[in-house]
Amino acid sequence: MDISAISGAVSSAAGIEAPAAPENPQGASAFSQQLGGVIDGLQQSLGTSDDLAIKAVTGDLQDIHQATIAASRAQLEVELVSAVRNKAVDAFNEIMRMQA
Amino acid sequence: MTFDAIGIAGTGLTLHRKWLDAVSDNLANVNTATSTDGEAFRARYVVAQAGEGNTGVYVRGAAYGSAEGRLVYAPDNPLADAEGMVRMPDIDLASQMGQLIMAQRGYQANAAVVDRAKETYQAALQIGRS
Repeated sequence: MDISAISGAVSSAAGIEAPAAPENPQGASAFSQQLGGVIDGLQQSLGTSDDLAIKAVTGDLQDIHQATIAASRAQLEVELVSAVRNKAVDAFNEIMRMQA
Repeated sequence: MTFDAIGIAGTGLTLHRKWLDAVSDNLANVNTATSTDGEAFRARYVVAQAGEGNTGVYVRGAAYGSAEGRLVYAPDNPLADAEGMVRMPDIDLASQMGQLIMAQRGYQANAAVVDRAKETYQAALQIGRS
């Protein structure tokens, strides 16, 4: 099944260069690689947010807005990744419901 | 980056926070007298610079007011010289109060951008849901 539309959306949303022409789209593995990259980025954002939250409570934080912005950004990224994940799971379920 | 507008507004918040700090420092020292053989307290001004492309705004550096200040006759002051003069900083209180309001409003505007951008991105994430 051609999921290049989805993977293209994921990569452009994440700021990764979309493969110009997926001349060799390895289907699921390309999608899972990109999803993995996005999840790595999300992990990093959550880490930054946590670090700044700790700094905020220990009094080491210089700018309050840095912590709140990092928290907002991390929240948005979680929502984005979970939206893509839900779509992928929906697609999988749809396929599994197909009759032979 | 994925959510650019939030980061750009963050640079604006940082700049206005620094501006607030500078104004706060100037106001705190508005009555700081020094002896006439030294320098007066120099008012600090934040110099802003636009980032390259759409990357927000950054602090290029600080500009300082006059070190000469103004000479005031204050013979009671322990720092007064033989003629009873001390050096006071050359800070215009009204101008500082105006800058205080500008810095505060600028900070609030950028904070509003963060909130609005977040709502916008969340609207984008609602596309195709359900």
